Amino acid sequence: MSFNRREFLKTLTTSTVIVPLTACAAPSGGKSGGSSGKARIVVVGGGFGGATAAKYLKMMDAGLDVTLVERNKTFVSCPLSNEVISGHGKYEDLQAGYDGLMKRGVNVMFDDAVAVDAAGKSVKLKSGKTLKYDFLVLSPGIDFNYGGVAGYTEALANTTHPHAYKAGPQTLALKKQLEGMQDGQTFVISVPPGPFRCPPGPYERASQVASYFKHHGKGKCKVLIADANDSFSKKGLFEQAWKMHYPGMIEWVAGAAGGKVVKFDAKTNTASSDFNDFKGDVVNIIPPHHAGKIAMDTGLANDKGWCTVDMLTMESTKHKDIYVVGDSTVHGELPVYGAPKSAHMANTQAKVAVGAIIAKINGVAAPEPFFVNTCYSIAEKDWGFSVVHIYRAKDGKLIYDTKAGGISPVTMADESLLKLQRKLESEYCIGWFKNIMADAFA
Amino acid sequence: MRSSLMIAMAALGFASHPAYAGPTEDLARTCNACHGVNGVSVGPSMPSIGGLPEAYLKNLMLQWKSDERYSATMGRHFKGYTEAELSALATYFAKMPWVPVVQKADDKTLAQGKAASDRCETCHGATGGTPDDAETPKLNGQWADYMHLEMMKYRTEAAKMPHKKMRGNAKKLEEADVEAVAKYYAAQPK
Ligand SMILES: Cc1cc2nc3c(=O)[nH]c(=O)nc-3n(C[C@H](O)[C@H](O)[C@H](O)COP(=O)(O)OP(=O)(O)OC[C@H]3O[C@@H](n4cnc5c(N)ncnc54)[C@H](O)[C@@H]3O)c2cc1C
Ligand code: HEC
Ligand code: HEC
Repeated sequence: MSFNRREFLKTLTTSTVIVPLTACAAPSGGKSGGSSGKARIVVVGGGFGGATAAKYLKMMDAGLDVTLVERNKTFVSCPLSNEVISGHGKYEDLQAGYDGLMKRGVNVMFDDAVAVDAAGKSVKLKSGKTLKYDFLVLSPGIDFNYGGVAGYTEALANTTHPHAYKAGPQTLALKKQLEGMQDGQTFVISVPPGPFRCPPGPYERASQVASYFKHHGKGKCKVLIADANDSFSKKGLFEQAWKMHYPGMIEWVAGAAGGKVVKFDAKTNTASSDFNDFKGDVVNIIPPHHAGKIAMDTGLANDKGWCTVDMLTMESTKHKDIYVVGDSTVHGELPVYGAPKSAHMANTQAKVAVGAIIAKINGVAAPEPFFVNTCYSIAEKDWGFSVVHIYRAKDGKLIYDTKAGGISPVTMADESLLKLQRKLESEYCIGWFKNIMADAFA
Repeated sequence: MRSSLMIAMAALGFASHPAYAGPTEDLARTCNACHGVNGVSVGPSMPSIGGLPEAYLKNLMLQWKSDERYSATMGRHFKGYTEAELSALATYFAKMPWVPVVQKADDKTLAQGKAASDRCETCHGATGGTPDDAETPKLNGQWADYMHLEMMKYRTEAAKMPHKKMRGNAKKLEEADVEAVAKYYAAQPK
């Protein structure tokens, strides 16, 4: 192992100076370096970003002291949760435990991080324990701004009106409501202003709900999307799918057409914008998001509620030695979203942060980062498509490569090829999911 | 001294890493999200890529970059890499051990697949594990679902697949044999 590490370090830097190895080099004065003088890294949040970071820290340098703090014993994936709501996927397949990370030597603590002392470099846990760190990785995902839709509350979300935008019991609750619907009824989805996690998520959900109706003799049901935004991810691909598979069933109301929901009345099941009332039999409010609470409380977020980071390393621009990855960050130069808030992006950012942390511990320059993202969506059985993003560093900046990436073709020269393309991506979506779950948790 | 235990561990990503290969390793780490650690996929519709022949990998990756070959997703990725990076990645993955994921199938399907694989044997070897040249992939223990989808590409006239002979052979298969032959190769340990 030490040979490998030495090789790694040698190539990290163009200089020929051999630097000391990670595990032996206690950074920043060494006081917080732990009993054996190892670098101590605490990761908060064991979702796609945090679990990947913890795993790759250990994989790239087994000598590091890595602790993962996660509040739930079982992770439930948002990717493919829309397919569970429609009955096309199984809830069990969304779940992962933390045994894999423990076997790799990650110290997993099921606890809640309640405060970070950035100056003193420690994290306070709900149980009362305090963890000292040399480096902190935060990947707490998102939390909701319930105030963004007057009348919608966390209590409603946990009982009668699940948002199901954090997978878990609410996913099953929404599935049950869908299954209880009668033919001819209306399912309303309200989409918050961007950025929100999984840019294509609400529209994939609309497709999956329509698929459920279509395959369960409820073809007169309607899906109404009340959107705060004027466009959406993979719009051409979704609209084509809707026309083809669910003609007349899905209606999209843009923000400019009065789609932005600002209040909700749970008694009458009515979501309202300043211009329209959307009454549904099931109303699925997706509240506006901001960075995970712990990141907000630590003062890492900008005035819009998202954490700004050094684009090339994922280190917070507010506090040294804190790295923020995943949905909590704003990262990259695409309008509204920066880089999309996806599981794949969280995974790729975590790997970049790990490379940068290990380089920093060893006093060498961070390796050149490379970010790749792919969001697959399944609109109907055998009908999947994707969007790909490639980001690279150029002159110290993060650039979205417009020659690569982009969405799946909307039209193709030949009908048989288009069908094949959609079939392949509906299958690759599942293969991607299994591999990324293993990449983070196994 | 590579024991079967070590191979099993490699499949799970526990094997010790080859020496750090510089920036190529940083790039390769991003492939894991779809192709598995060390290029051993755990998702049946996604291919394992670790240990495939270098020339074969290079062919595909460069053909995708230059749009000479159809893909559903991969081509949109590879336009963001330089040719030198793609060649280095091909070399990197080719050096890894091929870890067949042996999949079960019923006897009838296996017999049907074996019979249908007659015309494939000259190039892929009797069980898919001994390709006759460096531009031919291993099929033993590759995912059946993935190979089935791959055969659909070769059999769709409008999909640009430059290898004429492989395409010709794929098209000659009876529709009913496609899945069986994929399952036959997927079941082979060697
Ligand atoms: C319906 C839906 C569909 C989606 N589909 C896709 C898809 O197909 N592809 C894709 O790439 N992405 C998809 N996404 C997006 C994806 O789920 C997120 O982008 C991804 O989960 C982000 O990872 P993360 O690590 O930032 O956050 P998460 O995965 O949410 O992880 C955060 C973790 O931190 C824990 N945590 C938070 N605060 C604390 C604390 N203080 N103490 C302890 N633990 C804490 C939480 O319990 C959680 O486990 C989808 C999202 C939704 C809602
Ligand atoms: C988003 C998921 C994803 C990522 C990330 C990804 N691939 Fe792929 N890969 C695919 C898919 C899907 C296919 C099937 C081809 C297609 O797109 O139609 C594939 C096929 C391949 C194949 C062909 C294997 C065979 O035997 O036919 C190779 C080689 C390959 N990828 C290499 C790579 C390398 C190297 C990387 C990293 C630099 C990478 N891939 C990253 C999804 C991915
Ligand atoms: C003339 C030699 C030849 C014959 C015969 C042949 N193949 Fe192939 N096969 C190849 C080559 C070469 C490739 C790679 C082609 C390319 O680059 O597209 C390939 C690719 C494949 C792949 C794709 C694997 C992957 O990882 O993507 C499958 C599956 C396959 N062959 C199955 C078969 C089957 C089944 C038969 C018999 C019906 C067969 N082949 C007959 C040479 C052959």
